[in-house]
Amino acid sequence: MQKVIETLLIGLSTGSIYALMSLALVLVWRSTRVVNFAQAGQAMLSTYIGFEIASRSEIFWLGLVFAIAAGALVGAGVDYFFMRVLFKHATSGPAAVVAPVIATLGLLGLIRSIVGLTWGGEFKSIEAPASTDGFSVGDGTIPFSDLDVLIIATVSIILITVAYIFQRTNLGLALRASAYAPEIAQLAGIRTARTRTIGWSIAGAVGGVAGMLVTSNNFLSPYSLDLLLVFGFIAAVIGGLESMVGSVIGALVLGIGLTFILNYVGTSLVFIGGFSVLILVLLIKPDGIMAKGKARRA
Amino acid sequence: MESWPKARPAVRKKIAIFILIGWALLIIGDRVDELRVYQGAQVAMYTIALASIVLLTGYSGQVSLGNGAMMAVGGYGAALTLNNLGTPIWFAFLMAIVTASLFGALLGAAAARVSGPYLAGTTLALAVGLPAIANQFAFLGGEPGLFFDVGFPPERFGDEFTQYKWFFWIACFIALIALFITSNILSSRFGRTWKAIRGNSLAAELCGVHSSRMKVLAFTVSSGLAGLAGAVLAMTISLVAPGAYGLALSFALVTGAVLAGISSLPGVVLGALILVFIPEISVALADRLGDADKLNNYLPGLIVSVLLILSVIFTPNGPGENLRKHLHKKPAH
Repeated sequence: MQKVIETLLIGLSTGSIYALMSLALVLVWRSTRVVNFAQAGQAMLSTYIGFEIASRSEIFWLGLVFAIAAGALVGAGVDYFFMRVLFKHATSGPAAVVAPVIATLGLLGLIRSIVGLTWGGEFKSIEAPASTDGFSVGDGTIPFSDLDVLIIATVSIILITVAYIFQRTNLGLALRASAYAPEIAQLAGIRTARTRTIGWSIAGAVGGVAGMLVTSNNFLSPYSLDLLLVFGFIAAVIGGLESMVGSVIGALVLGIGLTFILNYVGTSLVFIGGFSVLILVLLIKPDGIMAKGKARRA
Repeated sequence: MESWPKARPAVRKKIAIFILIGWALLIIGDRVDELRVYQGAQVAMYTIALASIVLLTGYSGQVSLGNGAMMAVGGYGAALTLNNLGTPIWFAFLMAIVTASLFGALLGAAAARVSGPYLAGTTLALAVGLPAIANQFAFLGGEPGLFFDVGFPPERFGDEFTQYKWFFWIACFIALIALFITSNILSSRFGRTWKAIRGNSLAAELCGVHSSRMKVLAFTVSSGLAGLAGAVLAMTISLVAPGAYGLALSFALVTGAVLAGISSLPGVVLGALILVFIPEISVALADRLGDADKLNNYLPGLIVSVLLILSVIFTPNGPGENLRKHLHKKPAH
């Protein structure tokens, strides 16, 4: 019984990090109709900047703040300097539909090589902001630690902030409107292009937090966030790609499920488990758990 | 049936062209040194792999970010066949196609059926997780992989005939056949249907096309081609290991296809040539710039990504289209 509870708790902590990545993917998908595979690259660049600050100042939270800022800047920059140009050029012909996705792939490769050239390929680690020793329960300890509590708390704060922005502010209304019906939003006086850039920067900031949190109990390398991207994508697909709430729920479910596989079956099956979930969702409920019977767009 | 007699001279012409190319390749293979012969085999391998992307992305309008992983499936299929059953080489290559197509059909039934970014994400996930999968199953040989040895060249070619030249011959022969078949598929009913779906899937369905089934079919055929390329790659390096089929390979394939025009089958040769010479250029650059270790690891990736980004922004439909536009504009002035 104790093992079940500790697996649930660890799963919650893992899943909450996936939630940030899948939220970032969903934010961009809703506004731009592109699954931004460069999200992993953007998060990686922000995390390296956060790592640099955190290891120099020896304050994790200062690193996190810088990672958020860097994520927001990079996100906005990618949309402003890159996606806008792309949508202006690739408008017709056989490549028009696929150009944005391919471009995000190129961007992921570009950021990866820039990071590799700057910081090298060796593993870096950030000192965790809290103890990674497990809590003691009865006469043993469980692997759930202070750090996991901190991760869950940080993610909750970020999620509440994003939810507040989207539900309670004018900016959030504009973001939702331009994602839902860009032309009508434009007629209503919303500057949709600028709103979209803001959406990208929110996604970038959220991705930066995800990168920092993953790295707080793991290593950082130019490839270390690829798996986070994949699991974030799977979580977003579980949620139906459209729904922010769905993506968070999907991520928590995926995190808990994968931790159960990890604890009860073994490390080696974690990826295969996640991949099978993706295939099963696509086969059984491709619209995701939050679908309300409306037709798929795009 | 009426169009059949008309189509035949075109096919006959195509056969003649392919035989001519093959003959030219034979002569070239005799004239150049060992390294170029090896690179020639690589070009042939990339040609097949890029054709799989052209078929999938340029014609049916879907994106696979993990065709490198499908190549791995083919490579493993061929290696397992050759090592465990001791079959002739040609059968191993055939099994590469069969394994990869079956795998592609399964994956496609889940991901290519629904429209949207699902196929791209699923194939990317596969490419990322390939090492984990290869390590999981003992019969795949884990990190070091499996040997794939097609054997020495037949003795009747003489002592002068090197191993790499043998690889070059096999690779070119396979590539020519694969390209011939692909070009026929693309100009057949299937190719036209895929184009119609890419253009407007709703209109295509109104014409009686079963669009999701055709998309799964496109992914299946594309996977088969990629699998064949994977077996050829395994032959040139005598090995099937997860490291050879990493994300970088998948990225390179997309880049090569976009560079040469995503819907142009003859363009794949140009794309393949560029892909083979990028490492050489990057090594030369790294030597000049110093700090070779970092540069050697990341410079090829940097070149590939920059080329991909530039070409997708400025010539998304390939350089051919821009040239045509340019030529068409001139008379108007």
